[in-house]
Amino acid sequence: MIQTTALPPLAQPIISAVAVGYFVVVAAIGIWATRKTRTASDFFVAGQGIGLWALAIASMAATLSGFAFIGGPGLVYSVGIGAVFIILPVSLTNAMGAWVLAKRMRLLAEVRDMITVPDAIGARYRSPLAQGLAAVAILIAVVGYMATNVLALGLVIDAIFGVGLTWGIWIGTLITLAYSVSGGILAGVYTDVFQGSLMALASVLVFVYVLEAGSGLSGISRTILGADPGFLGPWGKLTPLAALSFFFVFGLGSLGQPHVVHKFYMLKDPRRLKWYPLIMTVALFVTLLLYVGVGLAVKSLVVSGTMPALGRPDDATPTFLLRFTPLLLAALVFSGVAAAIMSTVNSFMSIGAAALTHDLPVALGRRVGNELRWGRISTIVISVVAALVAQASGTLVAFLGIFGWGLFASTLVPALAIGLNWQGATRAGAIASIATGIVVTLVFETLAYLKVYAFPAGVTVSGLSLVASMLVFLVVSMLTRESEGAAIDADIRLVMEV
Amino acid sequence: MTRTIALGALLVSTLLIAAAYVGALVAAVVPPWAPWALMIGTSTIMLATMVLGASRAGGGIGRLAVPFVVMFGVLLVGFGAALVMPVETVNAPLWLGLPRRAAVILYGVGVLPLFVLPIAYAVTFESLTLNEADLERVRQMKAKRGVS
Repeated sequence: MIQTTALPPLAQPIISAVAVGYFVVVAAIGIWATRKTRTASDFFVAGQGIGLWALAIASMAATLSGFAFIGGPGLVYSVGIGAVFIILPVSLTNAMGAWVLAKRMRLLAEVRDMITVPDAIGARYRSPLAQGLAAVAILIAVVGYMATNVLALGLVIDAIFGVGLTWGIWIGTLITLAYSVSGGILAGVYTDVFQGSLMALASVLVFVYVLEAGSGLSGISRTILGADPGFLGPWGKLTPLAALSFFFVFGLGSLGQPHVVHKFYMLKDPRRLKWYPLIMTVALFVTLLLYVGVGLAVKSLVVSGTMPALGRPDDATPTFLLRFTPLLLAALVFSGVAAAIMSTVNSFMSIGAAALTHDLPVALGRRVGNELRWGRISTIVISVVAALVAQASGTLVAFLGIFGWGLFASTLVPALAIGLNWQGATRAGAIASIATGIVVTLVFETLAYLKVYAFPAGVTVSGLSLVASMLVFLVVSMLTRESEGAAIDADIRLVMEV
Repeated sequence: MTRTIALGALLVSTLLIAAAYVGALVAAVVPPWAPWALMIGTSTIMLATMVLGASRAGGGIGRLAVPFVVMFGVLLVGFGAALVMPVETVNAPLWLGLPRRAAVILYGVGVLPLFVLPIAYAVTFESLTLNEADLERVRQMKAKRGVS
């Protein structure tokens, strides 16, 4: 979920100056990283040389897009507590990811030269087809996700500098592209660390102003309860099924997000994973205070008549910041929004380029000669395609953006997350589940988009496709277990047993 | 044995979630049991996946059983309470600044696990997740593959 509608104009000297300062820091990190990027391993997995704090903060920044700052608070303002179910699983998912994937992914990189998530699937099942299918799913989702994020970035840049949406899209794309192409994921990780820190700091400061503006959490609740008690019910304006469905999709689905999972390869010392869940969870929790706080505070301020009702829910954050926080803090948050989007886009650029130059050729039995050069070229191609899609059609972008999370989840959770922890999982099960995830997601999202079929409230295509691919994976693996025997290489088996 | 149980729980919980979705798809009105099935299925699938990831070949989950059982209880009780507790009123009492059902969800399901699971992971890391001996075995395997 990301920003697809225009923001209120923010073009004020302080906001523009902070944004320019922010872009200068990003450029400096990009130049530093470029000097350190010499091989494909440097470009795609930062030469397996990053530390624990960098891993945790970069993963946090990649996890959150601009939705956490703009769309999320707007959704809380619209539907109440139910919107929190999107972020509620955060308290569980990082520890879950650490137990299920972090150690095994990192150890896979220890025994083999892994640079992509489909690499792990290919090695686990000794199957170029499974690796190729996973790469296809990632490419489809990446282009859609990137297009929506690039559009959001264009909207933010347009709001800050007043340059128009088209220029906003291309300026945002070129800045992200510049440091991604030259410095690869190394530039991405360290800009993510800067961006993530900025996002966390801004969120905490804004939350303080939220409590002040609403006379504390009790004051906010009392004001809202007086006018609309259902808003503060556990499901808000959603049905219980819809809210719980969010929890399922964003909880279990977190194990299938390649732009986050992929970063486990990069940690220098696997023993440092010990504190990863704690740092990552606290960082995410702190950064998401704004998501909940601003949505509730604005609702309270509107109910009490302090603020007029919003024209669009997405105006909640900009309106609150401009009215209730110092301009410098507002500027920091708007730069934080751009930061959140750019860090996500950079991660997608990296995994998309790797799928194109590494996984698909491997699936076809070939190898690209110079993966570093072709990685850079692929990054440019994918980014230009995404920017063109973002510029071409708002409805197309909205459609593409819908299924990214679900496509990642349904194609990667069973084959990767469950498969790396269950020796009985088979190649046939993995291939069937990935194919199921792709087909169910694309077919049902298209039917829903074309309004051929309307799903009842609470039933999402993401949830359906994740359940379908899980069932197919489990059942097909059980049925084909005898025929496939022990089709796991000794080193992979050891990684799965440790 | 632990992994077998986790896999069984994974399958059953996936079927429960599927049943909730199918129930909602085929009926004109979402059946009252569907949110319960989705709640139990989602809580179980999350915990079963964690157990599957935390268990080692030939071994169980050791001391992690305690935080896992606690978290499973927190999810079931938290979501269950939200489904059965009375609806909010204008003068509803507040728990830490929120109406009771919202407080159960936000503080119970949303915040409490933050103080349990990451700490449990760190405390048991060397004994149950990864230690020097494990790393040495992996590095020896890499060296062996390199030679062969």
